[in-house]
Amino acid sequence: MTTDNQHAGRIELVDPGLTIRPDRRLIRAHGRSERFLLVDVVAPTVAPDPSRRRAPVNLGFVVDRSGSMGGHNKLGLAKQAVLEAVHRLDPEDRFSVVAYDDAIDVIVETAPATPQDRRRASDQLAAVDARGSTNLHGGWLAGCEQVAAGLVADGVNRVLLLTDGLANVGITDEQELGRLVGQLRDRGITTSTFGLGTDFDERLLQTMADAGGGHFYFIGDVAQMRDHITSEVGETLEVVAREVVIELTLPDAIRVEALSPFRVEKRAGMVRVFLGDMVSGQTLSVVLRVTFDYGEVGRELGIGVRVGDRDGAFVRAMPPLDAVTVAWRYADHPDNDVQPRDRDVDRIVARLFAERAKQEAVRLNREGRYEEAGKALDGVRKRVAAYAGSDGELRKVVDELREERPVYAAAMPEMARKQAHYASSLLMRSRSGDGRSQRKA
Amino acid sequence: MPEDPYSLAELARLADVTPRTVRYYVAQGLLASPGAAGSATRYSEGHLARLRLIRRLQREHLPLAEIRSRLERLGDDEIGALLGSETDGHPAPAPAETLAFVRDLMAQSGVRPRVQAIRETQASYGAPLLRRTMSSSEPMTPTMPVSVMSASPMPAPPGPAPSAPAPTPPIRAPIGDRTTWERLSITSDVEIHVRRPLDRQANKRVEQLVRIARELFEDAD
Repeated sequence: MTTDNQHAGRIELVDPGLTIRPDRRLIRAHGRSERFLLVDVVAPTVAPDPSRRRAPVNLGFVVDRSGSMGGHNKLGLAKQAVLEAVHRLDPEDRFSVVAYDDAIDVIVETAPATPQDRRRASDQLAAVDARGSTNLHGGWLAGCEQVAAGLVADGVNRVLLLTDGLANVGITDEQELGRLVGQLRDRGITTSTFGLGTDFDERLLQTMADAGGGHFYFIGDVAQMRDHITSEVGETLEVVAREVVIELTLPDAIRVEALSPFRVEKRAGMVRVFLGDMVSGQTLSVVLRVTFDYGEVGRELGIGVRVGDRDGAFVRAMPPLDAVTVAWRYADHPDNDVQPRDRDVDRIVARLFAERAKQEAVRLNREGRYEEAGKALDGVRKRVAAYAGSDGELRKVVDELREERPVYAAAMPEMARKQAHYASSLLMRSRSGDGRSQRKA
Repeated sequence: MPEDPYSLAELARLADVTPRTVRYYVAQGLLASPGAAGSATRYSEGHLARLRLIRRLQREHLPLAEIRSRLERLGDDEIGALLGSETDGHPAPAPAETLAFVRDLMAQSGVRPRVQAIRETQASYGAPLLRRTMSSSEPMTPTMPVSVMSASPMPAPPGPAPSAPAPTPPIRAPIGDRTTWERLSITSDVEIHVRRPLDRQANKRVEQLVRIARELFEDAD
């Protein structure tokens, strides 16, 4: 398509990265083995060129205006945040605004972000007030309709869904919403979610963002709303590669699953891990669990890894990225037991397991199952302690899990639960504490 | 002759599209129209293969016109061979299909958003998409002295714009690709534009309007 080609010619992309590191290289000849593989992906950086034009974005803001949004000026701040975000857009970009409670209103139909339309948005948003219950599904769908009606082929098309409450009208099931959001992602519309305060369901919003190829933000303090929304909008403007995929080619004797929370598709001889959109210079660490059947001593097994994306950014960037292979070798038990470990991989794997355990502990805590919450942390702590040895960072993970146990093993205030869950979510997705993506130094 | 194997629903499911998308492709001439109409309509293996190839070409960002011309040159065997040889690319948006898919979901769950205000300017969004819904051989020309439309948005009237927002009409915005504008001529200088399809009630009123309008102009003569 012409716009793609123009686009390709205009933007110079440099220094993409792909490295893979196994925690151990020997596997057991007489039994099943489980190994971890760390895949580090670095999105190419846009070479500095002031004449460059970025790809247009098409954003659908979907704002909860249920009754509870009336408190603490939440709706007022949300409207203000949307308007500020819209002012960061250029006339080539598009935007739309939907407000929902049990009824759904299109406040601004999809329109180019011209000064005139931005002013009109400001007038029309001013009339929106809080009332009613929460038809999150309907609001999201209406946002999708607006984004679909203005779909841009070579840019980011995204719905930004804001809520402060529980979905209680329309489809409310987490799995079902996750499925729908995934179907829209396959058709070019991604979804990011913003949860405000302590009354929303973070698992639902996290699931929607993960399945939707976007990001989840927890806004504990209404004053942060503006920062989070403008930061997400800012990142959509810096996307250099949409729908980045790690592709692994592997023999039958190897099975791969993702420990990091990314969507995985398997088909004969190939596993694909979908990382979503990446911004210029963004770094993502993905941990995969690899399991092997037993085999002959001395035999080698390998996996080929390459990374691609919808825009061909990784293929086109300079210098070219080669596909990488990693190999394991079958060996006897004694050799397996004394083999060296890559401590960097161990640390990241331990951190990931610790954060998963904490999220599980939050869930159990909310259900009043305090002792089980504590045990969820104990399990991981013992496993990490078994291979931590004298490694400082691994000891730190062990100590942290021990020290924090009492917090999770007694009733937690909801705000603390949300904060704990969110901190873990960000760590597992290579995002920094303020919700932003991490970039190459 | 044996009956073709697929119903519309089966065909759509096998090709991972909505029934509406199938109908859209038929209307656009990308798929041959099936023999019989109605609920008994059956589709062939050839339909399925073509549908799958259309989807694949759309993922490569090819415009519909280009896809149509490619398909015209291909026999069923060639299409089968093409489908077999290609590997799946990364999914990519196909605008009309995405919109149809969202509208299907909305219809299934009864989501009917209200459009808050009548658009004040035609320049921003209404105009280009409105134009898209019209037949390309008969573009809407600005020389028409009168243009009466059956649904929002109305272009801004000349002169000062109304200051208060208009009341909310329970009408969906014209952001579709399934609707078409029909021109009903009243005199050689005057036309009424109607967005189809309309419900029976509205149809009746349009007929009435045309009758009255024609009488009005006859009287003036």
